[in-house]
Amino acid sequence: MKDEIDQIILGFTKSFKAMQMYGMSHSSFLHFFEPFYQILSNFLKEHNEFSLEVEKFGLIHNDRIVYEEEEMDMSIAFRLFKDGIRSIAFLSGLTSDELLLFIDVISRPAREWDIALGLWECNFAHITFYVIETDEVLDYQVPEVPAIDVDYDEKLKQLILKEKIDIDAVIIPELNPQEIENLKSNITDEERAALLPIVIKTLGDYLQTECSQEIIDGLIEILQTCVNVQDFRNARRICYKLKDYPDVNFIERFENETTIMSFREVLNVPQDEIFNEFLAFLGFFGKRSIPLIIQIMPFVERSDRLNALRHRIAHIAGNDVTPMIEFLESKDPDLLVNAIHMIGIVKPANTDKLFEPFVYHKDENVRMATVDALAAADQPAAIVKFVTDPAVEVRVRALCALGRQKCPEMYPVLLDRIKQNSFLALDFSEQREVFNYLAAHGDRDLVRVMRDILYKRKWFGAKKYRVMRRLAASTLSHINTAQALDILEKGRRKRNRDIAYACEAALKERPS
Amino acid sequence: MNIYLAGKTLVGLFYPLFKAVQVYDINNNVVVNAAQKFTDYAANLFSTMSSIEFVRYRDYIFFNKQRLRYEVDGYANLQFLNNLLKTQRIKSITLNRRLTQREVIDFACILKEDLALFHKEVSTRKFEHIAVEILKPDEEQDEFIEDRKALKQTYFKALKVTRNLMQNLWTGRQVDVKSSRRVIYGLVDSISHDEFGILALTTIKNFDEYTFNHSLNVSILSLALGQRIGLDRKNLARLGSAGLLHDIGKVEISKELINKIQKLSDTEWKTMKLHSNFGVREILKTRGLDETSMVAITVAYQHHWNYDGTGYPLREKADEPTLFSRIVRICDSYDAMTTARGYQPVPYLPHFALRVIWSNQNRLFDPILAKVFTQLLGIYPVGSCLELTTGEIGLVMRQNPSTIDLPMIKVIVDKNNNRIDGPIVDLASDTEMKIRRPTYPQIYGINAAAYFL
Ligand SMILES: [Fe+2]
Ligand SMILES: [Fe+2]
Repeated sequence: MKDEIDQIILGFTKSFKAMQMYGMSHSSFLHFFEPFYQILSNFLKEHNEFSLEVEKFGLIHNDRIVYEEEEMDMSIAFRLFKDGIRSIAFLSGLTSDELLLFIDVISRPAREWDIALGLWECNFAHITFYVIETDEVLDYQVPEVPAIDVDYDEKLKQLILKEKIDIDAVIIPELNPQEIENLKSNITDEERAALLPIVIKTLGDYLQTECSQEIIDGLIEILQTCVNVQDFRNARRICYKLKDYPDVNFIERFENETTIMSFREVLNVPQDEIFNEFLAFLGFFGKRSIPLIIQIMPFVERSDRLNALRHRIAHIAGNDVTPMIEFLESKDPDLLVNAIHMIGIVKPANTDKLFEPFVYHKDENVRMATVDALAAADQPAAIVKFVTDPAVEVRVRALCALGRQKCPEMYPVLLDRIKQNSFLALDFSEQREVFNYLAAHGDRDLVRVMRDILYKRKWFGAKKYRVMRRLAASTLSHINTAQALDILEKGRRKRNRDIAYACEAALKERPS
Repeated sequence: MNIYLAGKTLVGLFYPLFKAVQVYDINNNVVVNAAQKFTDYAANLFSTMSSIEFVRYRDYIFFNKQRLRYEVDGYANLQFLNNLLKTQRIKSITLNRRLTQREVIDFACILKEDLALFHKEVSTRKFEHIAVEILKPDEEQDEFIEDRKALKQTYFKALKVTRNLMQNLWTGRQVDVKSSRRVIYGLVDSISHDEFGILALTTIKNFDEYTFNHSLNVSILSLALGQRIGLDRKNLARLGSAGLLHDIGKVEISKELINKIQKLSDTEWKTMKLHSNFGVREILKTRGLDETSMVAITVAYQHHWNYDGTGYPLREKADEPTLFSRIVRICDSYDAMTTARGYQPVPYLPHFALRVIWSNQNRLFDPILAKVFTQLLGIYPVGSCLELTTGEIGLVMRQNPSTIDLPMIKVIVDKNNNRIDGPIVDLASDTEMKIRRPTYPQIYGINAAAYFL
């Protein structure tokens, strides 16, 4: 037994020194630690407990000094002793992790480090220790109680009246199973409940009674933490509380490149909720941060999120597009496209002027964005220029936009266009948008033109005629007047299967 | 394996076995099954422990040296075992490896006999794997009045730290956070070693320095209640600091107002109520924003919120006090009621304060917590002065966990009204002595706290 104890102490000492020299993940430490754990847990299996009393420079086991070291920094005993630890016991069931943590806690170097607090916080299941307070309080004194003369019965009567209680009521403080269940769920709720929202609410409520600088500083400190860990939900909660204090600039600290660039991580998180909280939080940012936020926009992968972000920035901008305008000079098409979109959302009065240079921009995406932005800004006249764009996608986009806007000046031009042979060479998507535009802007005359296309072989070669017939029928159904529908009804019963089929299909797609 | 849980489980398995042998024949399936479960679980424990030992010491049960705490969960089982060991005057029971089912059943059978028969059976029948140690006459009483140095040390150290903390705040000096953390850990340890011992020290009140003792007492009472409902150590540490700091906002209010004896005017009362708000600021200033201080902030703000939605500071309907705030709410009221102060020179008697809490459950206090609190303190809480049917006066020294209306008392005044250093009597065991009614210790010039030092 004596040998066994000495072996344990030797393992303890060596592990402690190795921890100080190499740290816990180093192989040299494990070389000493593993056999130490082995021999200690074997001992515990047999004896249940291994306890040591702590003296200033020594450890004692069963009245025998088993360890001595007078060099303060090197002495396990002194380290424990100085923080008031007077005994330590290891119990059977001790895990290797517990022992590892124990060695770690007692070997930390900092002078400020309090081993007793450190061990306490570890909450070991199989290591117990006893701590005395370092400065002893020995003069226990019972405070004086002022002498009083009381008529107990009278006093009791008064109190019963005052408190309105039944002094003889039978008290049975037993909890029924349901109450025990409630209590348990209360405790789990409390353990799970996030502290932050409650504290934020408390501090916010406090501010309603008194505008205290300390409380505001506290909220700002939590805000900083939230932003650091990207907890935007709580960050937003704090901002809502602070926004009522115009003198408090709580967002300025985040309006810098480093912070805003760090937001890139949140742009593509899988959870929509987090992204939405982020957007809401962004709503508190000022105009000065717009150029920085635009810088992170190209990192957004999903188009719906990109769109939401553009709207958010436009919201921040209010009706002032100055921060976006500088990006109209950008050589980077991504930045340029975003700037164009956001200006479109803000709709400044001079939108058409601002976008004029982009009619001939070399990048198709830029021209496309311009069309979208002009559409968003209700500027049909400026869109007209894109109907003759060299890129079919741009033309289609422009036509589509015009179809939805009031822009009658293109009507004669496009009505004429469909009558030309060159129209047949266009992509179906473009042809369809032209017909859509016409349907949106047409008059009685258009019905006649469409009927002609449906029934006659006028203007077109037979090969392409089927497509034209379908488009005409479909346009009639969009016009949706009694006259137009009558034509389709009649056409449906025609012997010509092509006509009958086109009319049938068009009637089905009729807007209800 | 967690020794604590193992102990509680084994106690839980013993109870049905004991009940079974009282009703059924020893060969009945109910008995055999209960014994089987018990020995199976014990066999499992023997793979890591060479023996299993239950020790009863001052109404506490220790399982292989770990104290099994009284918690709402498993309370009845533990209370039952404590009672059984107490009535049979058993100090310890040790079970050894290779314990058989037969032995367990036989042992349960003799346990249900009366004291004399049980002792005779234990000394004549030799159980191979069960060892029983019987209390010597008066041994328990000796244990009971044993020195409580460590507890007192903890209490007064905590008081000193609390006083320093508040005085430093008052005077705008630096606050030592480390020492208050140590104090809380010390209190949590004391509670888990001997909650009745440390609870007794909450009878120490201070008329002149009300707030310091009050803060500490609220912390201790909250810890005891928190432990009883089964909070873990981490949460107990948070609850303990929250209790200690609940009235910290009072450092922002003038001492004249705090110590004022006359009835407060409306404005003064309004200022007084602000201490809940100020507490938030003070904690923020001194403790920053770690998890412990966030809990303390919430409790400081909510500790005057009532269960029914009333109280101050004003709140929205949906705002409910947290569990910790509800715990502190009860303990704060109890300690405030039982303490003499400027405007309340005659404090409420402990049993009366407890009845006020009892009858205000649902209105002011969480009803479940109010019940557990009553269970914890008993009908006559420690420090109560009782007129006895024998004409003597007794002071409640300690709660009986199994009989909440029959505490352990010390006789301090004899029939002829003379102060005496009388015996300690367990009213649960003594059939002669009965409680007539609680009384004011001041009538006899007694300061209850003095008996706990
Ligand atoms: Fe208070
Ligand atoms: Fe209080």
